Amino acid sequence: MDIEAQSTNHITDEELAILQEIMNIAFGQSASDLAEVIDTHVLLAVPFIKVMKVTELPGYIKEQVKEYKQISIVEQKFWGKFKGDALLVFSSGSGKALINLLQSDDRRGMEAGPIDILERETLMEVGNILIGACVGKLAELLRDVVTYTPPLVMVEKEYEEAISSGYYDHEKTAIVLKTDFRFESGNVSGFLFLVTSNESIKWLRDALQRFIEQYE
Amino acid sequence: MILNQIFDAINLGIVILDADLKIQSWNRWMEIHSGIEAGDVVGKPALESFPNLDNPRFIRSCKSVFSFGNFCFFSQKLHGYLFPFKSSSYVGSEFKYMQQSCAMGPLRDENNQIKCLFIYVQDVTEVAVYERKLVEMSMRDGLTGIYNRRFMDTKLNEEYFRHTRYSRAFSIIMFDIDKFKKVNDEYGHQCGDFILKSVSSRISASIRNIDFLFRYGGEEFCCILPETNLEGAELVAERFRTAIMEMENNFNGDVIKITISLGVADLTNDTASPGDLIQHADEALYRAKRGGRNRVESYSVNKK
Repeated sequence: MDIEAQSTNHITDEELAILQEIMNIAFGQSASDLAEVIDTHVLLAVPFIKVMKVTELPGYIKEQVKEYKQISIVEQKFWGKFKGDALLVFSSGSGKALINLLQSDDRRGMEAGPIDILERETLMEVGNILIGACVGKLAELLRDVVTYTPPLVMVEKEYEEAISSGYYDHEKTAIVLKTDFRFESGNVSGFLFLVTSNESIKWLRDALQRFIEQYE
Repeated sequence: MILNQIFDAINLGIVILDADLKIQSWNRWMEIHSGIEAGDVVGKPALESFPNLDNPRFIRSCKSVFSFGNFCFFSQKLHGYLFPFKSSSYVGSEFKYMQQSCAMGPLRDENNQIKCLFIYVQDVTEVAVYERKLVEMSMRDGLTGIYNRRFMDTKLNEEYFRHTRYSRAFSIIMFDIDKFKKVNDEYGHQCGDFILKSVSSRISASIRNIDFLFRYGGEEFCCILPETNLEGAELVAERFRTAIMEMENNFNGDVIKITISLGVADLTNDTASPGDLIQHADEALYRAKRGGRNRVESYSVNKK
């Protein structure tokens, strides 16, 4: 084990590999449960994990979503022993596509209320479910219980408007867990970023250790 | 014991449902506002006692609480309320039911298994009433009381999007009071204001309740007609024209007769944006003015 890894701010390659494995399991289970809850299959890509300084995060996210003209973001904080921020970034047009997807069984259509409120609320609902599914499963596998703040939504903004870089604490480290998702029906896709700071890392290392011990 | 007292003392509705969505607990607040005592609902299926909960969104939310331990939020803006309770304590409240902001989340047993879900219900009627008043004020023109330019931009966008999405007929009428400057110069600005008000109220009284009338600026108005094709809109415009022409405006003993010129446009293949629609109607209005005023003209591609 190298010296860096022994400080609480860092995670070894081995631990990253374990986390990767847990994410694979968690997201696999989430996808099937999601299908039951929202009646459409959500394809969750194999998650990708990266450790970086918090200040590098805005640039990193921007790089990931640069293909999108505009984005909508759902942000939710989660806290348990494992705590942080979940950022769900939807490609432009996703909100409207989701309205069609979810409200088709409803009386909505020409008589619906203002479309911007509907879009907002739909993004919020789907975001809430998607974040809950991924974070909840991950926490469950690590034997943690998390609670959530109400989701915040930003609808159809330019990237610069949506993410401010001044918000982040320079000292902090972020573990970014990224997955891209795509709804099987409806043209909806985007990225999920789970950002957890070094406060959670010590706990996470222990939890990962406990997880792997089950198999040893 | 102490926590139980809080359960009943708190100014918040609390309901607990089990995995079959049967009501397990119903606090004092819920009893007061529903008029239903706990003994009468506990053990009963929530969807049976409150049939309005039997909708995909509510059921989806319950499932996500039990599957993922999610927290779900039901905002007043979209849902209005979860439990239909009479809103009694607000004088003149225009809401039929108490406006509620609600949330649900998981309740776990000692092994962290989710056994039940809680719903909390917050009465936000007062805030919703204020908000509605503010929104209403921000949409209206102070002088005439009809909708203002600001709201027009929002509404036109919304209707434009909705109609193009469903490929439905959609028209707008732009109109303008003829020689309005003369009215101001001859009778004074108070009379000008009076004329603006009478035109607004005369036209408002003659439109369907799905149509919207806006003061576009100065003496210019715009009327948007959902689900209406060009022919229909031309008839409406013609009705506006005669109604205003026949109107006798009595101001301080003077009878002032005025006329309006109107331009009509509908959604066609060369309308690419809400702005195009306004521009087309404006072009038609300009032709009506040039053609001698007090007339209706329609936009068409070849008549430019």
